[in-house]
Amino acid sequence: MARARTLATRGVTLMGVLLTVLLLVVATLGATGLSDKMLGAIANEELRGIRQGLAQTIRDPGEIERVIQERREQLTEEYGLDQPWFFRLPGLLWRVLSLDLGSARTLKSFGGSARVSDIVLERVPNTLILVTSALAITAILGLALGVKLATRVGTRTDRSVSYVAAISNALPSWWVGILLLLVLSFQFGLFPSGGLYSTPPPVTDLGRIVDLLWHAALPILTLVLVTIGGWTFSVRSMVLNIAHEDFVTVARAKGLPEGLVMRRHIIRAAAPPIVTTLILSLANSVGGAILVESVFNWPGMGRLYFDAIMALDEAVIIALTFLFTLIYVVARFILEILYLYLDPRVQY
Amino acid sequence: MSYVSSKAVREVLSNGGGRVGAVLLASILLISLFVVLTFPLDFGTKQWSNPAAWADNPKSAPPVWTSFMSDDPTAEHIILKTTRIASERKEGNLIVRSYALDLEYTSLKSPGFVALSMSNFTYYGKAPYVSLFVHRPDGTVLEPYHLFISGPAPGETSPISRFEETPFRVNLGGEREVISVLSDLYRESYGQTLTRTDIFNLGAEKLLFGVIEDSGSKRPSILPGSYRFRVDFASEDPRDSLHLVKLVVGGSVFGAMGTDALGRDLAIGLLFGFPVALVIGLTTAVAVTAIGALLGITSGYVGGRVDTIIQRTSDVLANMPLLPLLIFFAFVLGQKLIIVILILIAFSWPGLTIVIRSMVLQVKAAAFVEAARAMGASRKRIMLRHIFPQVAPFVFSQLVFLVPGAILAEAALSFLGLGDPSIPTWGQILEYGFRSGAIYVGFWWWILPPGLLIVLTATSFVLLALSLEPLVNPRLRGVER
Repeated sequence: MARARTLATRGVTLMGVLLTVLLLVVATLGATGLSDKMLGAIANEELRGIRQGLAQTIRDPGEIERVIQERREQLTEEYGLDQPWFFRLPGLLWRVLSLDLGSARTLKSFGGSARVSDIVLERVPNTLILVTSALAITAILGLALGVKLATRVGTRTDRSVSYVAAISNALPSWWVGILLLLVLSFQFGLFPSGGLYSTPPPVTDLGRIVDLLWHAALPILTLVLVTIGGWTFSVRSMVLNIAHEDFVTVARAKGLPEGLVMRRHIIRAAAPPIVTTLILSLANSVGGAILVESVFNWPGMGRLYFDAIMALDEAVIIALTFLFTLIYVVARFILEILYLYLDPRVQY
Repeated sequence: MSYVSSKAVREVLSNGGGRVGAVLLASILLISLFVVLTFPLDFGTKQWSNPAAWADNPKSAPPVWTSFMSDDPTAEHIILKTTRIASERKEGNLIVRSYALDLEYTSLKSPGFVALSMSNFTYYGKAPYVSLFVHRPDGTVLEPYHLFISGPAPGETSPISRFEETPFRVNLGGEREVISVLSDLYRESYGQTLTRTDIFNLGAEKLLFGVIEDSGSKRPSILPGSYRFRVDFASEDPRDSLHLVKLVVGGSVFGAMGTDALGRDLAIGLLFGFPVALVIGLTTAVAVTAIGALLGITSGYVGGRVDTIIQRTSDVLANMPLLPLLIFFAFVLGQKLIIVILILIAFSWPGLTIVIRSMVLQVKAAAFVEAARAMGASRKRIMLRHIFPQVAPFVFSQLVFLVPGAILAEAALSFLGLGDPSIPTWGQILEYGFRSGAIYVGFWWWILPPGLLIVLTATSFVLLALSLEPLVNPRLRGVER
């Protein structure tokens, strides 16, 4: 019961996050007059379609103009273009939520569609592949390394890892990506310089998977490199904190083997704060993905941001801002649930 | 507060990382001071983003010192100018004033371009004209270029000025006249017939500074020696004048840090980035810590409904993905540095507020706070005099820690093409390099230094923050050597 309530509180907060972002986005659009421009463009597009349809049935051009004018007034009222922007907020909010944002100015989906939702949604899986695999690799590697370091605290390795971890806070992911590109791709030609598949892509399924992995290697390596230092260091600190507890001493005194003490008593107890750190590093991963995709020309949502900024495409940028927030919020919520199962004490 | 700061200084200097950070930061501050004192404030719009200011530089040229490391011959970048009349003579009713530019060409590589510019012609009556002569080391004299100054427009009165503000500039390698003169030279001196296309393909600059030693091949080699570029200014009126003659022999290397694709001197752009990065980082960090500490202390000490409102707001704001929002706002509200800083502040204070509140909740229960309250101290006084000193070390270390985050966030935004175009930053230099494909062709001098400077600046603050850790967390004192 209490567990459900805690979960509900977190859910409400995260919904608040989503709603605030949406409201901020929509209000900014309204106040800067961008929403008028966008809705106007959507209305014009609809009118063009109607005109084409009418031209086939009605011969008299004057009649067509009259019908179009009538329809234009209808649309203006429907979209609320005759009212000040704050009256349109709910409508616009819903448009962003359902990604009904008309067509992009110049950007096209892989299939050639100009609808914003088509362009944006087809790229979601590509971004998810990158973020989740990088996060998983970082989490597992960092956990193993952090626990290892905790057993040899104070040694030279331990101290140097602490410094490396600190300095990796100062490393921009995109610059690391560029360095890897310069060295591993252009200098030594070990990896491709970007993209999802080679051109032409391999024909067999297995070939495609290998090709995809080969292309994903550098972006994932970049994401792992910039996050693993800090992550390893926090795992180490949290494991160390628990290792000083009395129950660990008791477990050792009972004569339990060291591996068992580590697994059952230390790591299990350190799991909740470790997951918290993972939750916090999620935000960095999402941001890192935007930049790393831009560097490696990875056709995900981040690269789309880069292209949309170049093409000055507001509708795409709005859709991306919303989707990134949504992904972030959903991922946070999944981790919160995990956290609840790991730490039964969290039932405030 | 002074107690905290003196203790902080001692703590920073007591370990290696802190000392490195302090030295780095001191150098960054010194360079920034130098830049602020010597650069104009409108450097970005007037110089950096103005292609005319960089027209005389070679494009995408590596730094000068790279020539010491490679065996390939490099051409030095030479700029010659004069305002002095070398000689004056009369030819009929014309007065001819000569300007001479002497050049010792020693490189084995041909120049990238040869550009002649002249500024500020003044004349009375008939329009003057200019002829260029090139005296080569082998004794030949070429007359490869002429410029006829345009006559007075209807209604224009003497004295008439031409090319006052923007100088007249010609790239000799692309001129028809130059090409036909070179074609004559190579036919007469070396018996070589070179068509216009041949000259264009070989490069007129190479032929101008070249010689064909082996008559069998068409490939010219460089003729080293002293060249004289003579500009003859011919006019009728003795009052007529030409102010400045400038010759640029484009090299293949340039300056301490090389140039970008527009010929901009990267050393200057990188220097300007120092104060900009500091301003971004420090402004954001100071504002965030001020707001975060104020709200955190209020929230923790006052409690009740104020606490709830502040905490719920912080909860929501602290959980937002920063980069997508930064992109959105910078895109919609315009690419202004101040807007970026404001957004960074708006989304960064909540994290600090939440932590400080929890610290204040502990301090609040302490006996000395109760004592102060019992003595009738006001709420404001207790928060300022009794609670703030307790959290001050933490606030201070957070201030240092927030600086690199802000610098990196701005750099990321610039890298995505949303930098403030009127203020050059390291991120923008890198972005332009990346977007114009500098990494694909290996222009490392354009890509590595700006990124390295971002990392170094951020690292210096991270190291400082790290060395302040024992101050914040007394348990760490004396554990690490």
